[in-house]
Amino acid sequence: MFVILVYDVKEERVAKALKICRKYLTWVQNSVFEGEITEAKLRMLKDELKGIMDETYDSVIIYKFRTKQYYERETLGIEKPSHEDFIV
Amino acid sequence: MKKPLYIFSSGRLERRENTLSLETQEGRKVIPINSVSEIKVFGELDINKRALEFLTRNQIPVHFFNHYGYYIGSFYPREALNSGFIILKQAEHYLDREKRMYLAKGFVAGAVNNILKNLEYYRRKGKDLKETISSIEEKFKAVSSVDSIAELMQVEGEIRKTYYESFNLIIQVEGFYFDKRTKRPPENPINALISFGNSLLYTTVLSEIYRTHLDPRIGYLHETNQRSFSLNLDISEVFKPVIVDRVIFSLLNKGQMQLKHFDSDVGFSYLNDKGRSIFVKEFEDKLNTTIKHRNLGNVSYRRLMRIECYKLYKHFMDEEIYKPFVGEW
Repeated sequence: MFVILVYDVKEERVAKALKICRKYLTWVQNSVFEGEITEAKLRMLKDELKGIMDETYDSVIIYKFRTKQYYERETLGIEKPSHEDFIV
Repeated sequence: MKKPLYIFSSGRLERRENTLSLETQEGRKVIPINSVSEIKVFGELDINKRALEFLTRNQIPVHFFNHYGYYIGSFYPREALNSGFIILKQAEHYLDREKRMYLAKGFVAGAVNNILKNLEYYRRKGKDLKETISSIEEKFKAVSSVDSIAELMQVEGEIRKTYYESFNLIIQVEGFYFDKRTKRPPENPINALISFGNSLLYTTVLSEIYRTHLDPRIGYLHETNQRSFSLNLDISEVFKPVIVDRVIFSLLNKGQMQLKHFDSDVGFSYLNDKGRSIFVKEFEDKLNTTIKHRNLGNVSYRRLMRIECYKLYKHFMDEEIYKPFVGEW
């Protein structure tokens, strides 16, 4: 599955959220991540995030795509990293 | 899905905040650990024990290649999947001459059938391969009567020689010509491509074996000896024509790979960085291509390699006799 994850958390928790997401997905820009992930790994990611979130204040939104077939990525300005960069 | 990571740039790979960080001259790049299945290193990489520990914990093998793209060796993390039973069975099939011959012949048969499929495909496209095909078919008949691994290897070598010679008919691109197979060092661009592709394939298969209970040290066609891994070489035989050779044909025939992507030194030839990255992209695309499998629906070629391992399981446990993968296009 392909996902795009965005979060909006209080400043003091931003670094924690960033660290957790970086383990699973590719960082694209501030508070935005993308990547291919399995159902199980996504669940682990969500659990980890829930552990640090204040669910009355923060929010995390995950857009899920079953395939990448209908996804097109367009960047204006600086080219940002993509999860497709498997060659570095 | 987890993907292999290819590192061409030089820098330092380390564990940082529980994920991987690659520090190069262009800056730091964070790689999500949970999206990496294996790492192939071509650049000058610094790595420390802490990083290796972390890779072990996440069961990620690392394969190293030298400046010219030759395989040097692997960091093969402690086996995560252990089964004494499978190892015993694997050894039993090695020690018993007849059982070993069966598997060795199986790998050769898989390789030859896939070679024939390739040739057949290009013959249909109008290349003059009739003679090559019948000559290979003729030589292949000898396989059923051989009764030693050395003889089998010899037959296989001859078939491969005939096959490689036909590359000149399949690849009709100015500047690319195949005279004879040379390794260490490869003497011309086509040899360089074959060598590079094969070593990529060996490590890919090795990574797939790592995810099964099989022991890569016990091979059947390739002697189990002082060399560390041999089962991956066996399984690779079956897939070389399907993956490596087809990638080479398509890259050259479509003009994506050109002479400018090679560096040559006195008497030998190898891919430069740009050439390698073109090759790796096409190679990965190929592995991710899905085909329709008779029983399993759509499966990728990478998946088929794992399935090949599972077929060996079944063979060792007397559940189902091993039959190598043969493409059906």
